[in-house]
Parts: sequence; structure tokens; C-alpha cells
Amino acid sequence: MQDDVRPKLIGSRVQRLEDPRLLTGSGGFVDDIQLAHTLHIALVRSDHAHARILNVDVDAAGTLPGVVGIYTADDFSAKPLHATSRMKGYQSTAITALADGKVRFVGEGIAAVVAESRYVAEDAASLITIDYEPLPDLVDPRIAAASDVLLHESHDSNILVSRKFARGDVTEAFANASVRVKDSFRFHRKTPLAIENRSYLADFNKGKQALTLYSSTQVPGVIRDALAKVLAMPGHSVRVVAPDVGGGFGGKASLYPEEILVALLSRTLGHPVKWTSDRLEDLLTTSQAFDETIDAELAVDKDGRLLGLKAEILGDVGAYSIYPWTAALEPMQVAGFLPGPYQLANYQAEVVAVATNKTPAGPYRGVGRPAAAFVLERLIDMAALLLGLDPVEMRRRNLVQPDQFPYRTGSGIVWDQSGFTECLELACKGVNYPALQAERSAARRAGRWFGVGVASYAELTGIGSRMSAAPGMPINTGTETATVEIDASGAVRAAFGVASHGQGLETTLAQIVADELGVPLDSVQVIHGDSAAVTHSTGTYASRSAVLAGGAAHLSGQAVRAKVLEAAAFMLNTDTDALDIEDSIISERGTNKTLSLMEVGRAVYSEMGRFPLEMRAELDLRATKFYDPEFGTTTSATHIAAVEIDPETFIVTVKRFLVAEDCGRLINPMIVDGQVHGGIVQGIGAALYEEVVHDQNGQALSASLVDYLTPSAAETPKLEVLHLDTAALGTLGGYRGMGEGGTIGAPAAIANAITDALSHLNINISELPATPERIYRLVTQAIKGDT
Amino acid sequence: MPMLNFRLLDSTLLIDITRLPGFDHITTSERGITVGAGVQHHALKRSPDVAERLPIISHTMQYVAHMAIRNRGTIGGSLAHGDPAAELPLLAILLDAYLHISGPTGERSARAEGFFLAPLTTNLNEDEILTSITFPNLPQHSSWGFEEIARRSGDFALAGAGAVLSIQHGVIADARLAMMGVDETPRRLPAIEAMLLGRAWDVGLRRLAVREVREQVNPMSDLQASADYRRHLAGIVAARALNSAWAMGQAR
Amino acid sequence: MIRKRAITVSVNGSAYARDVEPRRLLTDFLREDLGLTGTHIGCEHGVCGACSILLDGVSARACLCLAVQADGREITTVEGMGEIGRLSLLQEKFRKHHALQCGFCTPGMLATAHEILTDAAPLTDNEIREALSGNLCRCTGYEHIVRAVSEALNESLGGAAAGNSSDAG
Repeated sequence: MQDDVRPKLIGSRVQRLEDPRLLTGSGGFVDDIQLAHTLHIALVRSDHAHARILNVDVDAAGTLPGVVGIYTADDFSAKPLHATSRMKGYQSTAITALADGKVRFVGEGIAAVVAESRYVAEDAASLITIDYEPLPDLVDPRIAAASDVLLHESHDSNILVSRKFARGDVTEAFANASVRVKDSFRFHRKTPLAIENRSYLADFNKGKQALTLYSSTQVPGVIRDALAKVLAMPGHSVRVVAPDVGGGFGGKASLYPEEILVALLSRTLGHPVKWTSDRLEDLLTTSQAFDETIDAELAVDKDGRLLGLKAEILGDVGAYSIYPWTAALEPMQVAGFLPGPYQLANYQAEVVAVATNKTPAGPYRGVGRPAAAFVLERLIDMAALLLGLDPVEMRRRNLVQPDQFPYRTGSGIVWDQSGFTECLELACKGVNYPALQAERSAARRAGRWFGVGVASYAELTGIGSRMSAAPGMPINTGTETATVEIDASGAVRAAFGVASHGQGLETTLAQIVADELGVPLDSVQVIHGDSAAVTHSTGTYASRSAVLAGGAAHLSGQAVRAKVLEAAAFMLNTDTDALDIEDSIISERGTNKTLSLMEVGRAVYSEMGRFPLEMRAELDLRATKFYDPEFGTTTSATHIAAVEIDPETFIVTVKRFLVAEDCGRLINPMIVDGQVHGGIVQGIGAALYEEVVHDQNGQALSASLVDYLTPSAAETPKLEVLHLDTAALGTLGGYRGMGEGGTIGAPAAIANAITDALSHLNINISELPATPERIYRLVTQAIKGDT
Repeated sequence: MPMLNFRLLDSTLLIDITRLPGFDHITTSERGITVGAGVQHHALKRSPDVAERLPIISHTMQYVAHMAIRNRGTIGGSLAHGDPAAELPLLAILLDAYLHISGPTGERSARAEGFFLAPLTTNLNEDEILTSITFPNLPQHSSWGFEEIARRSGDFALAGAGAVLSIQHGVIADARLAMMGVDETPRRLPAIEAMLLGRAWDVGLRRLAVREVREQVNPMSDLQASADYRRHLAGIVAARALNSAWAMGQAR
Repeated sequence: MIRKRAITVSVNGSAYARDVEPRRLLTDFLREDLGLTGTHIGCEHGVCGACSILLDGVSARACLCLAVQADGREITTVEGMGEIGRLSLLQEKFRKHHALQCGFCTPGMLATAHEILTDAAPLTDNEIREALSGNLCRCTGYEHIVRAVSEALNESLGGAAAGNSSDAG
């Protein structure tokens, strides 16, 4: 930031600019948009997990009044899309608007009924009959990995990608170990469950041969580029707009078949075409995540220092490799982040991502880091127990120390710098760890099953062009654009390639631009969620927006400020460094000469004759800048949870939850807190309640919100969050990315707390969610084992 | 309504009976309380007459779903739906209620016990509607308890129990125990009721009750809980309901 | 051919006369027939609470109500609770405490919060959580929502009651 610009808005709890419309019901979510002559789609979806489609009988359905047409894959000539990867041995899968000859998961779309209303479309859909030739259902990833039955016939196996990581000498490390702990960990499938179901409205303008797609997406830029390819249209004729979006969490960060479908149909029919998912469709087809089995072993010396870690990671990635992230996304991140924020030189991991007849896997908050943290934090606690070490002390001894940064982990990831140890100490202080331990002792003396769990983790955020979630995937996420411009009225417009869907970017990015320019917050309008807003964009995912868009906002804001000062200096006949801008007023220090931004704007755009000719070629108040942090930065936290388990019913109550985190400089502390809170509750959900269940035939049993349970306010404790709030060194602005931490740390902390509460029975929690049913079985088994 | 929205129910004619007159009264008599089938859950929950005469109902109603559901869901609706894990059917059989039914062939009254035949299946014929339910007064000096276990607040119970005791001379003189979520219908457990008579509630009786209740129930397995776990819970909720009823009786 | 029924519904103080199919849901009626898109659809089976509105003054799931059942009734949707520049007490508190992120569950949350305030009983934080347990939110983790509702409730009760403030929870 400029030396003479003192941040006023950055760092303050500014109320959000988004709120007035959202609070009064005047937001614009995709399904709210009503265009004349819109046609509606109901999809007929597969009820087989794996089958060939022999026949689709649409005769009865086609005669219903109000039905405009019924479509299957044969009706479209668009080429399938593949998510590419440079990873060795990776096998991509063809993504089409509707199932082409074969279905590979329950819920896959087979036929689309287009009608005047959704009601009529569903009436017709219920009259369509499909003949299937069932194929063997490959539901268990281990069986699928070894099977000759292929989901995708062009593949040589159902293993979509595999990789080995190795660093140091794991064999020697294990040979020298005083203590070795291991377990087979199972993290069950989740679905992001945004409250707004996916919704797409395609509007093809026949006259201009141009498409606008309103999409409930996190990645309008990605969708635009992909659709331009699939539709064989130039980019300037395809626009994707993500208006208000009701949550995403990664589930709206990929290209969906339905997006292709509505686009194709609108072009074919010349009318706007809308599809809004219902909740059942969401539970069946929105990408799912966290479905990992991890066999891991940790070697530790007699002083509790980590010597070596080895793991076999099996990722169940469902039926397709999603676009653009590829099926490698989550399993690779499990392996990449498994060594955690610790000093650990010797590491070995084998990762396999296997296709199964289930919903395709995709990004969900935390991606592979929640599973990685769960595994390592459990292993550390298991080792601590054997050594008689307090779990906090064990972490204290092993976390990367401040003087060890930058630190290269066993997987090759580099932690540039972050407050690992500071977060641990702050969390302990915040929760009053000795008092919590005393509370636990007293509870145990009274026969209560009370446990405390700690989890520390680190992640990479704000990643730049040199990092990739999956090498060779179709997009590079490493740069962000900001175009800041001031118009003739003195109003500021700042356009970005990000797509806010709850994070408050309309406010936080405005805070940065306003501070850079010296204008009030509400004179800045942030444009986002629109592929036409900037030349190239991707969207909001992977905790990137604060770092990348924030950095670009600083650069662009500074550049426009310089232009303003140049014009104003000329107008005031002084030097630029004699000028300040505050509250949209430019003033010369030491005099009473002032200009308003509006006066400068008017002069530049309508009175350009005032300026010498040689100034005018560059005379505007606009700048576009890009920011690429190249690598990215490290974000970290320690989570501490206290739980109590009813010894008769095995219901787990989270009594206390505290997070101490380092997310660098905070732009808006209220918004940061909100992100942490939301992540924690999703983490509690992942630890205790949420599980997508498929039966042995691949039938999705989690078919409603009565089946797939997420925490309500009554299941959630008061959440406490502490921040280090020190600027990151490596990013422009000093921000770190954040938002995913809650799901990364919470399941691990809760798993440790439950294990602690059950320590008198020697039970290790190695499977999440730790439902009352599972705890009942573990306890019953443990008690039987004793007698 | 959810079933209609899922298109699991297909009807050509849907009859809205919520506006039929006279369905939404709660009346008292020396016999007990009669609740119209159209009375909404929240009205039952807040009725001062119910709170005075049958406080077990007022207390239990807080477990029924959530506020918005209680505002529109009705007593008659819940009873006619007959979910084996719902509170109203349990209360009906616990309190020996009478269901008043009306149809083209006339009116009849059915005892609650015997009305619930199978999950979501009751004794109501297709052309009949429930018009009201009478909850007889409880004997004087009755004490009660209710306990349910659910995954989350407002969810259907994994297991639940309601108990009514009459304690005289330090022992149980009369006992009622009804359970929900642990069989195909809500159930009274007469064998347990008989076992409790003449005894004081203590650690030994609790242990016995827990064991015996588990023998009596036939829970089902589903996504949320196995039959084994439900059976385990059945013992616990019964014991806790009885414990509350005993403690209440002692406090009087 | 499904025969339509004529209904008259009062929404946010205005009467609307329309012809609807009996099977038309109140959510679709409000959103499409009346253009009041503030009421959102999250599940259509009464669990998530996003569609909650006030029906004759008490909260109700619009997705579990047929439009014909609203004939002759009074409905308040989020659009009737306040407007930009003149937010209601609850809306002000939600904004102050950052009790919304994506905003999709918010109208339903406000309807339930409205009923909490109408009931005018002092509540602890845990009781507020219980009362809100029928409204799912995936963004906020509920913490700020509870603070907003608690402060609104205290203020609307005259600051007197609810001796247990957010510290007790």
C-alpha cells in the first residue's frame, strides 16, 4: 500500500453491501430470474447404477399438452468434454449433456423433457419408460480397482489415476522408531448441500447468435470457456453470469451436464430454457466428496518426535472425472497435505483414485485436507497416548518452528511461513487448556464421558500460477484480474473475475479499492460473477479471492489513484506528491485547494480540452492489473473441541469449540469469523452427522434431508474464534486465503475428543462420521472384549 | 405433503378438511379432554386446560418437529398418519385415548390401542375421517415421565417412551409404559407394567426394566440406526421415563 | 386437463385474485404467479425451512402448503418485513451481526425469528437455538444468527428480560 495511505476500511468490521437486497428478498438468484417464454426441463434420471440404455420410450409423454420436446443424447451432436491432466497414467472420462448409451450412476440424466411448466414437464417425465441392460454394479472401490468390468470402455482399468510420493528414508525411520501407530481410517462420503439447489437458465439470442447462461455457479469464467468449446462458439458470444448464488462450497465449482444441456436446448429451441434442481437431484448428482480409505502408519521416537509417515490412500471418485479439476483433485490433496504442519522428513504415500458407480466426486470445502488432518491428528494422539505425552505437548515438539520457514514437507509442499506454534499456544490460552483438563478430570470422576481433542493443520491458499490442484488440468487458477474505473460522476466500478457466493466479496474488495483510492465504501461497486466483466476469469474456490483478487485490487486501485492524482495535479497546478485523497476529495497539503473526484472525472471525460494533447492518449481513470502470487501462502490453525458422550445413548454433544487461526491480515474480521463458523459447523456435520450412503447396488439411500443430516443451530455449540492477525509476508496486501479451515480442523479435533472421552474403553475413532450407531458398536465390542 | 411433492402419492381428488367447522376445539368434561382433529400441535402445546389436566401432553409436544410444522400440523393428521416414531400416537395409547371417527356408515369410537396396525397404517377406513380424540383424565396422584432420543432436535425419534405411575405407600400401585420408534406401531408394554407393580423404583428395578423392555420390543433397522441399537435405546428411554415419573411422584 | 380454482390471497397487505391448479404449491404461487421471489425453495419436503413465511401471523412452510389452502388467508413474506433503507429490527440486527452470507436461507430464518419475537418470551441462547432448529443454514454456522436474534429479542422486550444473554448460551 502507498505509504501515505492509511487503511481505514481494511481491517474493520464493515457491514456488508450485499445485505440490504438479501435481507429484503430482493436478491436475484438464478431461479428468481423470469424471462418471457421460458421453457422448463424435467430430467428422467437413471435408477440403475450401471447399465446400458436399450430403449427410451417417449411416446406417451410426448402427447401431453404443454410438452415442447423430449431429448436424449442422440439429439445432440456436441462433442463430449474431457477434463485433462498431465499426470502419468491418468484416464479421462467423457462428459456429455445426457447419458450416451450407458448410465454409470443412479441419478445420471438420460432424457430431458422440455415443457411450458415444470409441473407439466414432470407429468411427462413420469410417463417415460426406459429399458436397461443391467451391468455389474461396481460400488466398492477396491473391487472396482481390480475388476475387468470397466465403467468407461476405452479405459484399461477403473483406476483413473495413481501416484506415489516418497521422500527421505521411510524404512529406516520405522526401523529406528520407539513407537509405531497405525490404523485404517475411513472418511465417508459427503455432499456440499448448499441450501440453494443448482439452477441454470440459458438464453440464446437468435439475432446475435449469442448465449447468456445464468448459472448458480462458483466458476462463471470456467463455464464460459468450456461451453464456448462444446458449443463451438466464439468466446465473445458466450456469457456466463452467476448472479446471487446460494452457497457453493465446491459443489458448484465444476461444469455440470445440465449446464451444457440448457445451453444446447436454448440454442435449438430459440427460447430461454431453465432447469432448477430439486433436493433429490441435488443429493444424487451434485458432486460429492471426502470418500477416502486411508491406511496410515506413523513412526515416532522416544521423545515423541515424528520420524516417518507412510500411507495408502484409496479415493472413491465416482463415475466421472469432473471438469476442470479431474478425479485426481481430492486423493492427491490427501497425499499432499498428509504430513501436516510438522517437522517430518520421511514420508511415503501411494494414492489411487478409483471410478465407481456412484455420483462423481468433486471439490468440497477443504478437499483432501479434512481427511489428511483426521488421519495425522489421530495418529499423533495415538502415539502421544503410548508415550504418556499430552497431545498439546506432542504437537508443540513437532510443529514446524518459526525459524524453520520456509519448510519443505515430505510431499514437496513448501510452507512459506505461518504461525503454527503461535496458533497452538493461542488456542490453549483461549480455551484455558489447564482448566479444561481439570474440567475433564472432574467429569470423569463423576462418571461422565467427557473428552478434549486438539487438531493442528496447515493448508496452501491463494495459490499462484506455479501451483496446481491437479497438474495439467484445463485451467490455471493462479492469476486474478481487477479493472478499476472512475466515471464522469466520480463513482467507482471495480470488476473482478471472482464470483462471490456468500463470502462478501462485494464488500471486502470494495474495502481495498476504497482505501487505495481514498473514497467512501459505498461509492465503490464491485462487479463479479460475470465472465464478461474481465477478459479472463475463473471464479471463487480454493480460498483464493482475498489473496488474488485482493492483490489485484490493490494494484489496480493504486494505478487509478495515480491517474487521478496526475489529472488533479494538472488541474490544481501542483505536484502529485503534494496531494491527498480522502472521502473522494483531492486536496493539496498545506493549502485549501481541493477538487472532488466528480470534478476530476468530469474534466477527464467531458472537458478533456483542459489537458494538453500529449496527456490525452492515456487520459482516463481506469486500470486493469493482474496479480499472480506465483506460489501462494500458508494458512494454519489449531482447533480445540470438548465433547460429552451420553454413556447410555452414545449421543455426542459438542460442548465447546475454539479455533485459533492465522489467516494473515484480515480485511473484514466479521466476514472472516463468519467463514470460520460456517466451516466449523460443516466440519461438525462431517464428524458426527453427514454421510451419503449407497447400497451394494449403488442405490443412493440418502435421498432426502431426513436421510442426509446436517447440524441445525440446536446441535451447534457457541463458536469461539481467535486470530493472529499478522500480515503474511509473501502476498500483496498480506492476506492469506481462508474459508476452508473449519472443515479441515473440526473433524480431526472432534475425532480426537471422542476418542479421549472413550479412552477408558481403549476405543480409537478411525471412522467418520462417528454416529451414535457406530459408537454403540465400538462400545459394545470393547465391553465384550473385556469380559 | 412431502409425499405429494415427491410424487410418491398420486391422487385425482384431494380434499382439504382443515376448514370443516367444529374441528379445532379443545373441550373439557369430567371425563377428560376432547381435542378436535383439526387442532394444531402448537394449540395443543399451549392449551392451559391441557397443561392443567394432562401436563404430559404439554411437555411432550415440544418434541414434535419444529415451530413451523407445529403451527400447521394437526392432531388428527398425526394420528391418521400413524408414524410409529411419532409422539401423538404414543400419547394416545399411553393415555388410553378414544378416537372418534366419522364416515358414511355413521360414527364410531375406537380405542387408541388397536388403532395403529402397522407403519403408516391405521384402523381408519378409506372413507372415514378422524373427528376428535378424547384423552381420559389420569387418576389423581399420577406422575409421569417422557423421554425420546433423536439424532437432532425435531427429528423422528430413534426411540421414545412415556410412563405414567401411581405411587402409593412407597411402591408403584399402577403403571403405564408406552414406547415409540421401537416397533411397527407405538406400543404399550403390559408385561413390564405388570412387573413394576408393588415395587419401588430403585437401581435393581431399573436394571431389570432395561433388560425386560429390550426383550419386549421389535425395532427395525434403517439408515439412522440398527435394530440392535434401537433395542438398546428402548431400554434406556423406558428407564428414564419411569425414573422421571418416579421422581415426580416422590416430589409430591 | 386440471381445472383451476379461483383464490384470493392477501400477501403483505395486498389482495391478489388468481386462478390456480389445486396442486400448485404456495411457494410456486408466491414466486411465479406473484413475482415475490424472496421466498426460496430449498427442499420441498419441509425440512430445510428456507421457504418459511408467516401464514395468519405464524410461521409455516410454504412448500408444504397448496396455494388453494391460502385462499382467504394472510401471508407475510420477507418482502413485507422491511425494505432497503427501512429495514425491520430483525433485518437491522442480521446486518449488524453478519447473520447472513449467501442469503438463501435468510428469508425463512427471518420468518421464524419473527415468530420468536412475536411470542415475546425471553429466551436463553440455547432456547433460541432450539427455536431456530427448523431452519438449516450451511454458511453461517448459526453463531451470528443467534446473536442477532438474541439482541433483537432483548430490544423488543424492552431490554429487560432474558437475563441470560449470549454469555450464558
